Amino acid sequence: MSTQQGQDAKFFTRGKIEEFRAELAAAEAKDKKFQKRKTVLKKIVANITMGNDMSPLFPDVAQSIGCPLLEIKKMVYLYMLSYGRSKPDQIHLVIPSFLQDCNDRNPLIRALAIRTMSYIPIPTVTEALSDQLRHCLKDRDPYVRKTAAICVAKLYAADPRRAERGGFVEMLRDLMLDTNATVVANAVASLSEIGDRHDGVIFRLNLTIANKLLTALGESSEWGQIYILDSLLRYVPETHADAEMMGERVIVQLQHANSAVVLTAIKVLLYLMNYMDNRRLIEHICRKMGPPLVALLSSGPEVQYVALRNILLIIQRRPTVLKNDVKVFFCKYNDPIYVKLAKLEIMYRLARDENFREVLAELEEYSTEVDLDFVRKSVRSIGRLAIKVEAAADSCIKSLLSLIDTKVTYVVQEAVIVTRDIFRRYPGRYEGIIPTLCEHMDALDEPEARAAMVWILGQFADKIENADELLDDLTYTFLDEPTEVQLALLTATVKLFIYKSQSNTTKALVHKVLKWATEEVDNPDLRDRGFMYWRMLAINPSVAGEIVLSEKPAITTDSDRMDRGALDQLLLHTGTLGSIYHKNPETFIRNAAGRALTDSPALNANSRATIVPLARPHLPPAAVKVSGPGPNEPSSGSTQAQNNEVTVGSPAAAPTEQPSAGDVDLLDMDDSTVGKSHAVQEEATVDPVDGPTGAPDPYAGLGGAFGGYLADQPQPMAGNRVGNGNGNDLGDLVF
Amino acid sequence: MAIDGLIILDSTGRPIIQSGYTSYPPGYPILHVDALNTELSKCARAKDVDPVIYVGPGIGDLRGSACCHVEVGGMRILASVSRDADPLVAFAFLQAFVDVLVDYFGTVNAATLKDNFDTVYQLLEETLDSSGHPLTTSPNALRDIVLPPSLITKLIASIAPSGPSPASGRTGAGSLAGAGAGAAFASPIPWRKAGVRHNHNEILFDVVEDMCATIGRNGATLSSLVWGKIECNAKLSGTPDLTMTFTNPTVMTNCAFHPCVRLQRWSRDKVFSFVPPDGQFVIAEYQYGPPHGALSGNVPVPIAFKANVTTDENEGSFTLTISSKLSTKPMENVIIEHYLGEDSTGAQCSTSSSGTGLGTVGGAEGSWMYDHHKHVLRWEIPNLTTSGSWSLRGSWTSKSKTPRPDRTYSIKFDIPSYTFSALKVDQLRLSSEAYKMYKGVRGRSKGSIEWRW
Repeated sequence: MSTQQGQDAKFFTRGKIEEFRAELAAAEAKDKKFQKRKTVLKKIVANITMGNDMSPLFPDVAQSIGCPLLEIKKMVYLYMLSYGRSKPDQIHLVIPSFLQDCNDRNPLIRALAIRTMSYIPIPTVTEALSDQLRHCLKDRDPYVRKTAAICVAKLYAADPRRAERGGFVEMLRDLMLDTNATVVANAVASLSEIGDRHDGVIFRLNLTIANKLLTALGESSEWGQIYILDSLLRYVPETHADAEMMGERVIVQLQHANSAVVLTAIKVLLYLMNYMDNRRLIEHICRKMGPPLVALLSSGPEVQYVALRNILLIIQRRPTVLKNDVKVFFCKYNDPIYVKLAKLEIMYRLARDENFREVLAELEEYSTEVDLDFVRKSVRSIGRLAIKVEAAADSCIKSLLSLIDTKVTYVVQEAVIVTRDIFRRYPGRYEGIIPTLCEHMDALDEPEARAAMVWILGQFADKIENADELLDDLTYTFLDEPTEVQLALLTATVKLFIYKSQSNTTKALVHKVLKWATEEVDNPDLRDRGFMYWRMLAINPSVAGEIVLSEKPAITTDSDRMDRGALDQLLLHTGTLGSIYHKNPETFIRNAAGRALTDSPALNANSRATIVPLARPHLPPAAVKVSGPGPNEPSSGSTQAQNNEVTVGSPAAAPTEQPSAGDVDLLDMDDSTVGKSHAVQEEATVDPVDGPTGAPDPYAGLGGAFGGYLADQPQPMAGNRVGNGNGNDLGDLVF
Repeated sequence: MAIDGLIILDSTGRPIIQSGYTSYPPGYPILHVDALNTELSKCARAKDVDPVIYVGPGIGDLRGSACCHVEVGGMRILASVSRDADPLVAFAFLQAFVDVLVDYFGTVNAATLKDNFDTVYQLLEETLDSSGHPLTTSPNALRDIVLPPSLITKLIASIAPSGPSPASGRTGAGSLAGAGAGAAFASPIPWRKAGVRHNHNEILFDVVEDMCATIGRNGATLSSLVWGKIECNAKLSGTPDLTMTFTNPTVMTNCAFHPCVRLQRWSRDKVFSFVPPDGQFVIAEYQYGPPHGALSGNVPVPIAFKANVTTDENEGSFTLTISSKLSTKPMENVIIEHYLGEDSTGAQCSTSSSGTGLGTVGGAEGSWMYDHHKHVLRWEIPNLTTSGSWSLRGSWTSKSKTPRPDRTYSIKFDIPSYTFSALKVDQLRLSSEAYKMYKGVRGRSKGSIEWRW
């Protein structure tokens, strides 16, 4: 950085504490228009940003807090933000000034003061903040109110019980009806943050509030819209009609310019569709979701990437959404590699009888490119395409053969791997190409490709004349091969022996391999498998043949769709990290809140059948409902009963707080429950099986779904899906 | 939902400015910076680094988080996200934040940010709450809270440090007396500040359309999409409520609007009804839906291009021909690029044109160059008129026996005063204010085509 780059740049030079202290002291006297002080503070702040510890200056900086110049005040507050929490013994120096500023006539300063205080989680500060915050939440200036709303979440984080006792949560709830949309949005954001903590208040919306929030959407800033839309996931529709009405109101938000707003709106729609019954409306919504998703692909590569990862999830659950748009996923030469790879995953999934030719032509194009990863994935996608679209299989095999002909090693290897899967998908149709594959056996130096080739040799040993010679050649290096190849060789030689049990060479070969597997190899899997084959062959070779060469389930790419329950759950995280990594965030991100579909009379049967319950480690046992503001709302009998029952238990809650109470379960919180929840938590730790925490791990069953999916392997058709077993690819997931 | 914090790194990967991270362990931001730098050093091309990097668990941090980053003016801005975080919010916020920086400082690079770090800090504070909630990114509102570092504000600050600011209409945020400093938020419309006054009321629209197409080897259009954007610069006093109608609104499909546009009105009447923010903004983005009949949904590509490429041992030769298919408007800044492969060492070409009516004056034939770093051949034609054709004939050399040039030519062009959709504004009416305003609409187009050979 050169010197002429300006004034402030030189502040980036490392400063000395003592020097600053002296300069601050000098600024006390004769400081015309606070210029000196401003300069010193600027240096100090610059040093903080460089990571230099400026905390010894606390008392010195604290003296400037009374300065009437806003610019200086802001820098002092910035300093307090950085070091306030580490100075509990000196914080009393500034509290009086904080309090004074909370009542300043400039709303900016009032907001600055409560904001800074809320970030210093020291009991004395929190205590001082409580009273001020209560006033600021009712401040006449919306800037102060919106700041105060966020501060409540901070206060709650510092001391949840104090925030609850102080009635701050109820005040936030009331702010959701504020006239200023920004204030509403921040109240929602704050409540969401509190609700995600899972150690007290549960944040849930009822129909009335959800409708109010939807009305506020139009006047909110883009960020406010995101908060509000996201909070709609906390509304559980009781009837199909509610969900449908809500969905129709959310659809317009798909036309927003902000990509995050669009994707959040899509998340809400995907969620609401679980509670809908009207097939035409669901199809209408699916149609409406396509174009905005496509439009996201005209944004920068980063946004494209996030969009593509989400699209991949969405089309697995709602295959109709982009069924006619495969063209927009064609890769551009200049796309970054991560965008290209993400597009490839989507392309073959959108292929159908009508468009497979275009898709295949593109994939062929890509497999001549230079980037290794991309080329391999392209070849693999050709195989997936063959497996997914039966009509495309012939063309795909042709193009794979011409790729093998290029003799580019990594292309050949990849082609062999996918050909194995094609053999499994269409038994008896393409075995004619086996000789061509055998010609290129020497090119295969990667374990996966070698294993695939070995599998082909073993499986079709009866059709390959010199299979015994080929396998014999391959076993020369048996002991040096990776386990994957050893396992394949073992099975292949056993298959060969079963086909050609009369031949002496095969007998010798299988004997040799079994001996190696059981005596020379350390890997227990290999040894076990070796012993198993040996015993089977020893006891009854014909039964062994039936077992080893038993009919395999046909494979399909449809099953590398994720498990329905897992999909439904992941889609609640649309746009979030979970949707990028295709894992539920709470499994890999700290403090992440899990989400699950909530059962209600409106939830459609298939979604309910695959529902994945959510573990809430600190769930209060009996949630007590505090009534919300707003008019009474008719609710179904069951909830009515439930409400009454619970409200009886806590007479203090509803009547005193809300004279206009309806049976609206907006916020499940009450002091007495909070106390109870603690008691039960303790119980739960003593006896985790019976307590609320004893719920079985909800992800235990999902491991397979993700594992299989991430490996991008075709899987057996049967078994792992619920509710969409039949062949109708596009319609089967509507409900 | 929330962003943990934001760090701005200079070109060497060192942090220049970062947000508070007050509720995180001190090592947390460093972990993210390291993760990004490690990934960057691993990747040959910086643009291929995953935009969302998973950051493993650190000390006192049981589970991981992620780092979203974008490249801006030679710097990288990274946003760390964790919890139930939304990377798209992070990217949208990063974009909005960069827009704000551009609005404040004109250009954004390491030097300007260092010079104005106190302003950047204030902007960070106001746009991203320390708990990570994006707050206000509307320049209209921000300018009232954080004063841009212009000469005037510096003057005001030095002349009247503690008094009320002169009656300039802008509240004196530089001084304590800015009693109405919250005016931006007092305004019932979050994107527009209250009490705007202009001596000369005008509103200008720019319709910008961008074609994005891929042409197959056989010359058939594989995909061709046109994305449109209507940029607006509004300098109107008071609270102007505008209604804009089009003669052919149906050409706009898949619209996405600035929050100011009333979505219900668009759905019902196909008109833009809005109260604009003050200053520049993008009012709408759309996709041009060609009239029915074009079954494939492809917009015709306005150029004809032919490439004849042959490769030999250690060399290759080519003949390229390009001409315009437009009948009225000339194209400008036509740039044709071809990546000749990592092994290419140089190229030799000659340009010619025929029937252009321009002769050979002023480099009208275009110019070519070979970029030794990127191994890219670049051919530029400053003005591609409606008649005639241009060609480039040449050869290149390569270290490899079998040169593998890229299979696509990338062609970029601009067409001033032209839109693919021929979108036409019918009327712009102002209600709720009495003054007369000056109105203007301009169109321009650009394109980026991948042509395979």
